[in-house]
Amino acid sequence: MSTGSMLVGAVAYDAKVIPIWEAIREYYRGSSVEMDVVWFSNYEAQVEALLEGWIDVAWNTNLAYVRVHHATRGTCRVLAMRDTDVGFRTLLIGRAGELAEANDLQGRILALGSADSAQAAIMPVHYLRREGLSPGEDVGLLRFDSDVGKHGDTGRSEREALEAVLTGKADAAAVGAASWDVFVRAREVPPGRLAPFWTSPPFNHCNFTVLGSLDAERADAWTSHLLAMDWEDPEHRRILELEGLREWLLPELEGYGDVFAAVDEQGISARW
Amino acid sequence: MVTREPDEEPAASFDGEDLDLSSGLIFALDVCLSDVEVGQVLELTSTNAAIAHELPAWCRGTGHELVGAEPDGDRTRYRIRRGALGSLMFKDRPDWGVSPEFRHDGFDTRDWLVGKVAEIPASADPTTGFSPRGAVVEPGAPAFPYTEKERDRVWAHNVASLYEQATAAQWDASVDIRWGDLRPLPTHVERAVCQVMTHLAENEYAALYVPARFLPRIHPHFTEVVLFLSTQVVDEARHIEAFTKRALANGGGLQFSTAMTQTSLKSLLEQEDFTQASFLLSVLGEGTFLEYLAFVERYAPDPVTADIARRARVDEARHVAFGVEHARHALAADPDRAGELRTAVERRASYLADASGQSPHVEEALVILAAGGVTPSRIRDGVQAVRALHDTMHRRRVTRLTQLGFPPGTAEEISEMHTPNFM
Repeated sequence: MSTGSMLVGAVAYDAKVIPIWEAIREYYRGSSVEMDVVWFSNYEAQVEALLEGWIDVAWNTNLAYVRVHHATRGTCRVLAMRDTDVGFRTLLIGRAGELAEANDLQGRILALGSADSAQAAIMPVHYLRREGLSPGEDVGLLRFDSDVGKHGDTGRSEREALEAVLTGKADAAAVGAASWDVFVRAREVPPGRLAPFWTSPPFNHCNFTVLGSLDAERADAWTSHLLAMDWEDPEHRRILELEGLREWLLPELEGYGDVFAAVDEQGISARW
Repeated sequence: MVTREPDEEPAASFDGEDLDLSSGLIFALDVCLSDVEVGQVLELTSTNAAIAHELPAWCRGTGHELVGAEPDGDRTRYRIRRGALGSLMFKDRPDWGVSPEFRHDGFDTRDWLVGKVAEIPASADPTTGFSPRGAVVEPGAPAFPYTEKERDRVWAHNVASLYEQATAAQWDASVDIRWGDLRPLPTHVERAVCQVMTHLAENEYAALYVPARFLPRIHPHFTEVVLFLSTQVVDEARHIEAFTKRALANGGGLQFSTAMTQTSLKSLLEQEDFTQASFLLSVLGEGTFLEYLAFVERYAPDPVTADIARRARVDEARHVAFGVEHARHALAADPDRAGELRTAVERRASYLADASGQSPHVEEALVILAAGGVTPSRIRDGVQAVRALHDTMHRRRVTRLTQLGFPPGTAEEISEMHTPNFM
């Protein structure tokens, strides 16, 4: 790969991400490793581009990372992640006062978000199995496979799942805890009508994935500059707020263990 | 589930009863957490089971830390530590408990200089945007395109007092003028009144547009200046209204507007520096207008015209007072600006050099007004009165300029160069 700017892939799942990455690119201007951003419309194309060496770094969801990991037989490397990518959780939301625990879902219908969204589909199914349920059998599933390819980033399928609960088409919806908090704080949730009743164990979300062949010195220089972003600096804070974090962290990979297990268990293909 | 850390003594507590986040708990938590210090713990008691699932993400999203959750009968006690990384980054705490003195007739703008409001910056920060002076402003906002950010380039020591006078002296041109008292006038006289009203109105447009043009350029932390100039804009609007109505009210109509007048007024609108613009408009232009309006009041053929001229003159006197005090302030801060002001007058005079003096229509109208008609003996008196008007205008300009510290010779030169259009 080139020795010039680091080419970072990102999925433009919404127009709002363009200014975020423009600001990050600007932040890197004048640093020892500058960067440019390459836009993708879906994670599959971005993963392909990383594997083919067209980009240096991919800003990946957990599912995209698992796929890169499988495709590279574990030789890929993670450079960094957001503080908010660690300890991600899924909530189950029902109509207020109706459901109290996961087992109450037996014989009822659970609305799931996009099939390729870890928090809204893959992980809730995985964890409910751990709780002794058999989603699809003793729990009916109503899937909202909107925006497939964007791995749930848009939040659209989670909103659709919640709407299904409000209208009675489903009894509960699986929604990322951070998404629920965003919906609550944006006053999208009708007061008092919906209530979370179950929280999943923690799992990891996004990370910056690179191939093992990327020059380690360049990669480390790029990562150091990323980690130097400071919440107290108004310019940096703007980027951090937009991207939904307070500090960048070095990778904490244990939190992907359940995601690997879920992908394996549900037979989600490593490549497509 | 979060476990309890026993050594965390809460600094405050709140009983959320059965509220969940979407029903309003987010607001209560925000208020309660802002009342404790960073690092201190708020204890939240709740009977709502759902918030156990919502609170962790809310705490994370808002930068606080959920440090404990302990069942207590049918309730749960949550312990939330206020985070250092608030979602908004304020470096300072707002004022609280400031106590301004009231006067017997109310809360005077001169007396609001308490707490942070009293801190009038010498040089204002363009990223504080439209925040009122005295508010605690979050850093990181975009810079606003203010060009007047230095106090000395806009300030006048008596501006708050002038603002108080302005707000107290507003009048209503629709109902405060006794329009019904107008009676038919001889045609020549009515036409002269209408011509003067036309000229006054066009000049007042300039006196409205010039400060209005500077308003968005002046940093809002020079609040008193912004408020005062806003009253000046409203004053001029009312004058335009009153002069126009007088031209229409008594069977006449708006009369001629000359290219010379428009050229003179356009040169005011093109000023880019506030102090220079204020000097040309308010000190020289509106200063000259005081004599003009006094003349119209004195020779008005009817009480309505006299009343309008008098009311307008009272308003204009405030504008002149601000212009003079601002010039005095600017010159005290930087005496070299005297040369700059003189140059501005010279530049305007040379721009207007091709123009051929006062509008003949206006000159004629003033003579007829002073004469009270067109009989020869009175016309002679009218001409004398208008000559005297020009002399008075010049002398008063020179007086104002010498009061500002210009040497008498320079004051004479500057006054001589002033536009024959008055404004």
